[in-house]
Amino acid sequence: MIIKVKNLVKRYGDLIALDHLSLSVNEGEVFGLLGPNGSGKTTAINCILSLLSYDKGEIEIFGQPMTPDAYNIKRDIGIVMQNVAVYNELTVYENIDYFCGLYVQDKKLRKKLVDEAIDFVGLGDFIKFYPKKLSGGLLRRLNIACGIAHKPKLIILDEPTVAVDPQSRNKILEGILELNRQGATVIYTSHYMEEIEQICSRIMIIDKGKAIATGTKDELKAMISMGEKITVETYSLSEEQLSRLRKLPNIASAVYKNQTLEIKSNKGQNNLETILDFIKREGIQFGKIYSEMPTLNDVFLEITGKELRD
Amino acid sequence: MFAHIFVNRLKCLLRDRETIFWTMMFPLLLAVFFNLALSNLNNGEIFKAIDIAVVDDNNYQYDQYFKVALDEASKGDDRLFNLTVTSKDNAEKLLNENKIAGYIVVEEPIKLVVNKSGMNQAIIKSFIDNYMQTVSSINSILLKNPAAQQELISSLSERQQYVKEVSGTNAEPNNILNYFYSLIAMACIYGCFFGMREVTDIQADISPLAARVNISPVHKLKAFIYSICASLVIHLFEIFILLMFLRFVLYVDFGPKTGYVLLTAFLGSVMGISFGAFVSAIVKKSENIKIAVLIGVSMTGSFLAGMMYQNMKYTIAQNAPVLSYLNPVNLLTDAFYSLYYYDTFSRYALNMGFLCIFIVIFSLGTYLIIRRRKYASL
Repeated sequence: MIIKVKNLVKRYGDLIALDHLSLSVNEGEVFGLLGPNGSGKTTAINCILSLLSYDKGEIEIFGQPMTPDAYNIKRDIGIVMQNVAVYNELTVYENIDYFCGLYVQDKKLRKKLVDEAIDFVGLGDFIKFYPKKLSGGLLRRLNIACGIAHKPKLIILDEPTVAVDPQSRNKILEGILELNRQGATVIYTSHYMEEIEQICSRIMIIDKGKAIATGTKDELKAMISMGEKITVETYSLSEEQLSRLRKLPNIASAVYKNQTLEIKSNKGQNNLETILDFIKREGIQFGKIYSEMPTLNDVFLEITGKELRD
Repeated sequence: MFAHIFVNRLKCLLRDRETIFWTMMFPLLLAVFFNLALSNLNNGEIFKAIDIAVVDDNNYQYDQYFKVALDEASKGDDRLFNLTVTSKDNAEKLLNENKIAGYIVVEEPIKLVVNKSGMNQAIIKSFIDNYMQTVSSINSILLKNPAAQQELISSLSERQQYVKEVSGTNAEPNNILNYFYSLIAMACIYGCFFGMREVTDIQADISPLAARVNISPVHKLKAFIYSICASLVIHLFEIFILLMFLRFVLYVDFGPKTGYVLLTAFLGSVMGISFGAFVSAIVKKSENIKIAVLIGVSMTGSFLAGMMYQNMKYTIAQNAPVLSYLNPVNLLTDAFYSLYYYDTFSRYALNMGFLCIFIVIFSLGTYLIIRRRKYASL
């Protein structure tokens, strides 16, 4: 086990930021921490890294207690913070070299690692640029390169794609998977469920400092009663028809709004077929009809009663 | 690790144009400005012979004693007067054209004609009064004791001093030095901007950059000390350039104790950096607030040390002497002045002692705050 956190409690006065949070991260996995803004993801990461003091709990990394002077542990950790943390007066190359140099003293090895990091994040054309001359996406890539250049065993990325364009976001996500393929264990925090779904092998959903569910994305989706979400574009639907629809078997909810009928069904077979039969029988005119499997947002919604992005 | 952090820190600081401007260029520009504005201030201390005229008439020609006295006062490099012997009309004309401070008409009593009162006119008047008093004394003595004539003549030119003046210094009095010394002191205190940045870049609860350094396998205080060494080297270099510029371009006199001047600059620089670090550590507000505090304190200190108005230093020393010891800018200014003006070191040592106390307080305070490696909040 790479990380083991047990009953972590962090209070800011009366506010409980982390409420007996426990988690474990296994070697080789991409572990996702998913939760809305203010749910305690960054606080948890800062406690794990021994940056923040906490009121209660135990934290172990690589089987040893994590403390501020556990340099042998820190040596194998790479961190990519939510805020870009680079020196504006150093060039792209110098920044990566500087942070890599805090971990690796051998100059030859360091040069090799820095060059690899630059290739990895695709900043080869910008090595002499100062951070202020870089776009937001390139700056984020530099931020990542500074965190991973020393080839750590454990990489923690705290919302690394905030305010990043889609192209750079994809590049970053691909890079994270590549790092994982190369052997790094990754902890990835985000409030973007699509990113978490895309790259994480195991996910913990947290809200108000509490872990509300943990598992693979399929395990999490299996925890809820919702089977699928069926959306029908239709121009007219009476209240009576909607009422009859709600009485069909396996229908959890049906809402008609802005000429769109949104139906959530419980787990079961042939839900779409049942609805298609109903539409035909009632003579309802429709444009498009499509079915989606539940998302992590649905999981969050069902467990907490609110949307992930609330 | 020292070399890695130190070299990169040097690069960072040297490329920080804003800080370099305020800590190096600004004091240099102020020094040039001071030189332009204050260069005439010392002229009042240098005596220039006074242009006068005497009316060339029979009375003047017959009054041999006065003529000799006036000629004596108008001879040599340190003469009192530049004398013009001329007609009354011409003397009047010269006076009206302000080419002479006044003219003398030899009659009974000797008359001085001026068209305004002032220092030069007072000196001429004093010369004439002195002459007339001496003549009167001689006449009086000769009337009462004619036998004393020989003795009187031999002692006539003697002036016995009953009070001995002992100077505490070999240095020339200089009105503008204090301005330049307070400017150097201000430049030393401006090291606070380096100190502030060092704390900002090492305290994880202030900047994300510091958080990244805190997470690395480098002891926080070691990283801080390595970085602050780079700050100190740069700031000392800046102060050294300022001192060289003042000494060899603007010809500001620092006296003969060059080693002590450099020691004072070094301690001043350490004081400035430690002051900035302390303020940055203790003020839990935005960077702009911290900068405002640093500028406010350093400018107030410079003002009270006489950088804008020289007499302020003496006003504070007379009316609130404690304040002059609580003002690091004043301590530095006074230390430079003591080195220039006094032959002994007692006043200099007192200033340096207080300065060292400040350095210890600021450094200890900063250490106690930044030694924490876990934060309550980020």
